[in-house]
This record gives sequence, structure tokens and C-alpha cells, in this order.
Amino acid sequence: MRIALTGNPNSGKTTMYNALTGRNEKVGNWAGVTVEKKEHPIKKAYYGGEEQLIAVDLPGAYSMSPFTSEESITSAYVKHENPDVIINIVDATNLSRSLFFTTQLLELGIPVVVALNKSDINEKKDTKIDVDALSAKLGCPVIRTVSTSAEGLKTVVETAVARANESQLAPYSEGNIDLTDKKAVENADRERFDFVNKIVSKVETRKVLTKDKNSDDRIDAVLTNPVAGILIFAGIMFLVFQISQAWVGPLIADTLVAWLETFQAWVGTLLENANPLLSALLVDGVIGGVSAVIGFLPLVMVMYFLIALLEDCGYMSRAAVVLDPIFKKVGLSGKSVIPFVITTGCAVPGIMASRTIRNDRERRATAMLSPFMPCGAKIPVIALFAGAFFDGAGWVSFVMYATGIVLIFLGALLVNKIAGYKARKSFFIMELPEYKAPSLWGAFKSMCNRGWAYIKKAATIILLCNTVVQVMQTFDWSFQVAETADSSILASIAGPFAYLLVPIVGVLSWQLAAAAVTGFIAKENVVGTLAVCFVGLENLIDTDELAMLEGTGAEIAGVIAITKVAALAYLMFNLYTPPCFAAIGAMNSEMKSGKWVWAGIGLQLCTGYTVAYLVYTIGTLVTAPSTLNVGAAVAGLIAVLIMAAVIVCMVHRTNRKIKEDYALAGNQAAMSR
Amino acid sequence: MNLRDAVEGKEYVVRQIDTEDEDLNAFLFSLGCYSGEHITVVSHLKGGCIVSIKDGRYNIDHQLADAIII
Amino acid sequence: MVDVIIVAILVCIIGGILFYLYRAKKRGEVCIGCPYGRQCTGHCGGHGQETKHKKKH
Repeated sequence: MRIALTGNPNSGKTTMYNALTGRNEKVGNWAGVTVEKKEHPIKKAYYGGEEQLIAVDLPGAYSMSPFTSEESITSAYVKHENPDVIINIVDATNLSRSLFFTTQLLELGIPVVVALNKSDINEKKDTKIDVDALSAKLGCPVIRTVSTSAEGLKTVVETAVARANESQLAPYSEGNIDLTDKKAVENADRERFDFVNKIVSKVETRKVLTKDKNSDDRIDAVLTNPVAGILIFAGIMFLVFQISQAWVGPLIADTLVAWLETFQAWVGTLLENANPLLSALLVDGVIGGVSAVIGFLPLVMVMYFLIALLEDCGYMSRAAVVLDPIFKKVGLSGKSVIPFVITTGCAVPGIMASRTIRNDRERRATAMLSPFMPCGAKIPVIALFAGAFFDGAGWVSFVMYATGIVLIFLGALLVNKIAGYKARKSFFIMELPEYKAPSLWGAFKSMCNRGWAYIKKAATIILLCNTVVQVMQTFDWSFQVAETADSSILASIAGPFAYLLVPIVGVLSWQLAAAAVTGFIAKENVVGTLAVCFVGLENLIDTDELAMLEGTGAEIAGVIAITKVAALAYLMFNLYTPPCFAAIGAMNSEMKSGKWVWAGIGLQLCTGYTVAYLVYTIGTLVTAPSTLNVGAAVAGLIAVLIMAAVIVCMVHRTNRKIKEDYALAGNQAAMSR
Repeated sequence: MNLRDAVEGKEYVVRQIDTEDEDLNAFLFSLGCYSGEHITVVSHLKGGCIVSIKDGRYNIDHQLADAIII
Repeated sequence: MVDVIIVAILVCIIGGILFYLYRAKKRGEVCIGCPYGRQCTGHCGGHGQETKHKKKH
């Protein structure tokens, strides 16, 4: 038996779904968190029967006629998939708006149970709703619930099960109206709202009127202030990254890394007498590669925790409001902020969050640009390079995020130029939910959930990649043990890519190329592959250290030394090129246009390469001009110029097309005259 | 007059909504923002304003505020 | 002897992963290893049509 959870956005559907099923789906305090249908069996604790109950969580909708594409999922589901019962979650703090959708649901004939959610907030505000009267008026059971504390959920499920085969009579029916006649539809909707207003005036008594200023508005006045608001947003984001990557995160990470290294060394001593190839595969390939990635887990988890807190308190909508005027200037919408912030956790849900943006061009541009924000999987890469080359300085990660934001702005301008930005009206409307104290337990659960996913990924995909890399590095094409790593399979495959990287790192290193290529499968692979190729990350050093090592006559085989500038450039190349296959897949499903997806991948590749090239070349010219590889610099310059030429060409073509369009429109206007 | 000239905290009645976008009009309708309904501007901001429609709070930009005649 | 144990461990690990990947693939996850894999799938078809349908109105 299927039970569909429907209701207005931000009424608490997913919170209820999580409570009912024990799942841990993303929740947040803004309209449009859920953009996809989800299904899972309900826990037995909520009902007595034998039959399996499946809860279906749907994106929020204000009415049956969809406005954005995620709303269409909801109306399509309840209309065509015939759920056995609908639980309509009604935001008790906004009854007058929610019941509009309720009355539409009641017309479908599917039994409905209304869950009057957020009842606790109403009690605080002293708003009273007569549940029995409301139930009588609507002709369906109404149950008071609080999703966050699971209050009333058992009753809701039991009532829903009891109603499964009943039919539903609609208290209000708009009758047979011609749906193509706009006037008739509007009049019918007006009558529907009048009907709702009548019910609300009878069942609800309010002490605090929403239109009056309250404490939330005083907070809003500061947070949405054009100057202070932006500073606060920057400050909050800076704190999130600083706490996770410089203060709290590394503290835990250091202990974890020490444990992992002890474990690796212990296994190493156990296998002293074993075949060196096999023990290297297990110790360096499997354990070394995975622990290099797992070692950064605390940084990522602390950030997940902080972002969950941010999403839960209601700040995200305010951030969208305060940044809308800026984003509008580059042709994006304030709503783009939400995907960008979510992307700092993972690009896939970030790209999916762009679905709430209605304008096609804005949505596609947002999906295309959000991977420039470094995601959780890129944190290990940043932390590795910051640690190996810059003494773990906090500014490295800050610069990476700042560059990401700058690239988003520049990219947006470029997209406008290429896609042909017409100065059309783009309206912005964003619901401002009430603030609430973020749930620490919820954030903790979200952190553990995502941390677990990270471990799973490290132990499966990353481990597999590391093993393959280790094997390919050990053998040559005739499946003999390679005499030196340079004659291995890996070296010959990654070799050609290494030439492409010379303008960025200044040296020909197939190891760095191999790491960049495996990084497209998952970014953590960059760390894993480097750990495998250099037999431990401590062998990835900068040239100053190499000079010192040579001075002491130390063994330097397997050590690759690049300059600090090259390290920075290589890091940027990895951060701003396409994040991973999963993100490209998400881009594909959100953009619904092959042309845009390829353009997006192309833009990301070009941007990553150009930025890295400029950083390396200019950086080297400033710091140590004598070490610049002139041939590579010229080759890189040519590559960048070709990319620029292609883009200029595309912009030119668009401009010509716009001109033609205008000319055509002008001619038509002239003819009609 | 339109919403942009509205006095903060004073309740107005919407007279007309003209966004030249049917879907958006329908969306505003489903929020309870249509001619004959009440609307209150809670505060004006630089890029738009915060309004109260029925029992919800929304931020709208100037372009949309201009399109709502009260 | 030690070599046999190492090989056994390696086979276990790699076999376990391959089994996991195979199972995930069978469940219909498009991007394995992505925590959002299951949400991505299955919405391109019906959902895309719905949008086209909307545009006709």
C-alpha cells in the first residue's frame, strides 16, 4: 500500500518521511529542499498490520498546476500513479494558503488524511485551530502533528491505513469547467480561495498577526541589509571553512592519520617476509591509498555538520535574498545561491537543487557553474597540497573558494554572452520561512550519514582505483615487473596526458597526470593515486626541500618535486575542471540538453586549464623567472588562445543571431504597419 | 500605485497583477496573491521588499513589486 | 604461507567490492559511489515529458 506525502513546500514532509521510514533524507528550512520523489517502507512501530506500507515523499507544491519542474513531479504522481492514501501535510502556521492545495487534493477521490503539522509553533504563538470543525468542513480526518518530535505520527498512519479503501467526497468541487478558458479557471480558483477563507475564519483564532513586525523581521533587517548582509554571508562561509579545515577538522584528522599510519606500518612489519610485490599491493596500494583519503574525513565531516546547521536554521533563503541583486547583474538568480552553498558539500545535490529555478537559462547556467565551488571530495586535495607545500596554511583553502566564486561570476557573464542574454524580465520571489534553532541531533545524523557515504566510497571505488593504479604501475605491457616505474603500463597511458600538464606544472610527470585523470572518476582519487604513485604522500615535496635532500645525499627515488607555484596551479586545475562522472550525470539530467551539457564540460575544462596555466606562468615569472620552461609556456599560451578564439567566435555568432532576430522582428513590425 | 510605493506595515488590497507571465500569475495566485486579497509590505530593501501574503513571508524583487498594483 | 594469506585477503577485498558494485548496478544505481545515486535515477524519463507537456499549454 502506497501512502503519498504531499503539501506546500517547507511544511515538513521530508521530516515526517524520515521519522516514518527511519531514512535520513535531506531536510532544510527553506522552500524546495526536496526536488525528487522518494519511496521507502514505513517502520512497523507506526502501525499494527501485516501489510507493507510504502511512504512516498514528494516535492512541495502550492497547487495542482505546477510552476517549477519539481512541482510537476508531485501533481503528476498524485494524478496518474494512484496512491492508496494521501497524507496532506498542512503547515498549521499558514492554514489559509495550505488549504487551497488541500481542497484540490480532496477532489481527486483518493482518501486524504490531513496532518496539521508545526502545531508546536502555533501553540507558542497562541493560535488556535479547531481540529474537529476543520475535519467536518473538509470531510476528512485532521490530526495534529509535530514532525520534528514524531508527535501524532502513529495516529496519522493508523488513520491512513483505516481509510485506504474508502472513497473521498470533495467538500468543494469546481465542477465541469472548460480548462482552456482562462477566465473560467481563474473564477473557479477564486471561488475555491473564498471557500478556504470561509473555513479558516471559522476554525482559526489568531493572537499574533503575521503582517505585524516580529523578532524575525528585526533579524531579517540586519541579514538582508545590502552591505551588512553580504559581509555576514561572507563571514559565515569563511567561518564554516575555517572551522572545518583549519581549526577543528585538522585536530581530529591528525590523530586519525597517526592511527592509520601506525596500522599501515604494523601490517608492513607483519608482511616483512612476504613477496615484495604482493605486500606492496596490500600495504601501499590498498591500505596506503585508502587511508590517505580517509585521513581527511574529519575535515569533511565537520563541514557537513556546519552546513547542515546552516540549512536547518532558515538562513539559506535570506542568503538568496541578499545576493539576488548581485547575481542578477551577471544573469543568475538569487536562488542560485542555494545550489552553490549545497555544492560545497557535494556537487550532485547542488546541481539537483538548481531545479527550483524556473528560468531555463538561469537554471542551466547555475547547474553548469556550481561545480566551480569546491565540494567535499575536493577538500582532501586542497588539504593535501596546503599541507605538503604551504605548511597547512588556511589561506590556501580560502583562496580556492574565493577563486571558485570569482569563476562563477565570470562564467555567468560568459554564458550570457554565448547563450545570448536578452534583458528580459526575470522576477524573483522567495518564501522566507521562520527562523528556528537548528537541530544538533539532526545535523549530527546528517554528518554521520554523509561521512558513512564517504567511507563507503573510499572503500569501494577509490580502493578499486588505487589497486588498479598500483598494478598498472608495477607491471609493463608484457606483464613483467617493470624495471622502473617509468616503463610501467600506467606511465605509458598517462604519459600523453602529462605533456598537456607541462604548461601547468613545469615538469613532465606522468604521476601527476595519472592522478588528474583518475580524479575525474572521483576527486578523492587524486589523493589516493598520488599516495600510491609516490609511496606515501611525504614524497610529494617542493623543490626547496628537494635541494635540501640532495644536499644531504638522501635517497630521492620516487620523489617528484614541483615548485610551490606549480603545486598551486595543479591544485586549481583539479578543482575547476569537471568534478566527477556523477556530477556530469546530474548536470545532464537537470539541463535536459546535450548541447548545454557538452558546453558545460567544455567550459569547465577550459576554465580549469586556463586558470592553472595563468597561475603557473604568471606566478613563475614573478617568483623565479629563470625556471620558466619557455617552450611549454608558449605551447600553453597557444592552447589558451585557441580556447579564447573559439569562445570569441561563439559570442560573435550569437551576436549575429540576435541581430538577425531583431532585424526580423523589425521587418515584421514594419510589415504589420 | 504599486507595491513599491506602499507604506511599511500598512495593509493594502491588491487591485491588479500584471507580470506578463501567465504561469507566474498563477503561481502568485496559489500563494494567495491576487486581486481582492490583502497584502502588507513588512519592509523595503535595496533590491526588493519583504511582503506578507496571507500568513506567509516572501521576498520579492522590485520588478515584481512594480507589477503588483494596489 | 604469508603470500597465500595476502592473496586471500586481496581476493576477499576486491571480490567484496566487485560484488557490491554488481549489486548496486542491479538495483539500478547509475552513478555508483555517489551518495545521491538513487535519487538521480528514473526521473529523466517521465519527468522530462511532463515539462514538455506543460509547455504545450
